[in-house]
Amino acid sequence: MNWRDPETMNVVIGKVLRYGVIFSGAIILLGAIGLAATNGLSDSSGMLTYNPNMIPHDNLDISLGGLVQGLTTFSPFSWIELGVILLIATPVSRVTISVFLFAAERDRLYVIITAVVLTLLLFSMLVTPFIPGFHA
Amino acid sequence: MFVVEFVLLMFFISIFAGIFGSIVGLGGGIVVIPVLTILMGVDIHFAIGASIVAIIGTSSGAASTYVRDKVTNLRIGMFLELASASGAITGAAIAAYTNSAALETIFGSILLVSLVPMVMKIGEDIPKSPELKGVSKRLGLTGSYTESDGRVVNYNSTRPVEGLAGTAVAGVLSGLLGIGGGAFKVLSMDLAMKLPMKVSTTTSNFMIGVTAAASAGIYFARGDVVPLIVAPVALGILIGAAIGARVLLRSRNTTVRKIFAVVLAVAAIEMILSALGVSV
Repeated sequence: MNWRDPETMNVVIGKVLRYGVIFSGAIILLGAIGLAATNGLSDSSGMLTYNPNMIPHDNLDISLGGLVQGLTTFSPFSWIELGVILLIATPVSRVTISVFLFAAERDRLYVIITAVVLTLLLFSMLVTPFIPGFHA
Repeated sequence: MFVVEFVLLMFFISIFAGIFGSIVGLGGGIVVIPVLTILMGVDIHFAIGASIVAIIGTSSGAASTYVRDKVTNLRIGMFLELASASGAITGAAIAAYTNSAALETIFGSILLVSLVPMVMKIGEDIPKSPELKGVSKRLGLTGSYTESDGRVVNYNSTRPVEGLAGTAVAGVLSGLLGIGGGAFKVLSMDLAMKLPMKVSTTTSNFMIGVTAAASAGIYFARGDVVPLIVAPVALGILIGAAIGARVLLRSRNTTVRKIFAVVLAVAAIEMILSALGVSV
């Protein structure tokens, strides 16, 4: 692969997105099948009730420990959660890899642009949810 | 409704959402949100959580094809992401001081008004390419792609500052409401930057995944991402986006513009209805 060729970027980014989608989709599918198999004939409304007095909602244990425990005990909810996290991570990895691809093209301006986008993205995703007064 | 019924129903509706969302560059949220709130009686918060996942799925699922086939303009996408990502953070910061009904009325009205230039260009296949100069030249905001009939379309862009400003509005809207970013991205590239319609919708499609991911953390933290809802939505959307991407590549710019105009009208009406208290 010629890393200085601008076409390389299309090929690599296309692949990153394709594999990210296939991988996360497969895990969500496993979880969805598990969910239908274990809870398929329960009433769905119990799992869909929004309670404004309860934020965060406990339909998902979003802590890392809770996720790992759920995965090892084959909880379909945790497997779906893992798949969704990987799906959300797909555009993030796309931006991350773009920084290196522009560096390989020796395109300094776009290395800077993409690095700034990545910084803003990570800040928005991971930091702003914990800043008091944000997201009201 | 049984869980299995809900899962299957949402799965099939989401395929449809993925097809449309990937063609017009808005993501599948525009279909998923009203279906969940009106048909399924799900609260708007959970619907927006599902919409974020739907947008990321549509974006990545279709972009893998659009990027490989070089219809998406990567440099224009990356450049405009500066504005959408900054906008998303700004939206999150000012959310406490804004009235979402007022915002939806304003932005819904802007979308309605922007239907006018969109309809006036309804027969336009390839826009007359502007001269590449200034910032657009320095940033390499130009490109070419091949139509399905083998025709090579070369294009330039213009007015990068207006493009950035429109995209920043898209980002603010996403950060504030979790919805509505895609329409402003397509409009910025189409009306300000004068790109061919397919380049505008596929480059918007490429960017909306990043904008939605920027807002995903808060919905996750609040528990608005409900596995029962997002699993069938994500799966249906991914399949729909793969279909939609193939449809777009074979479609003419004029067809894409017509579909976009209809979806834009629906998006504007959804937003205004939401402001009036109808949960869509």
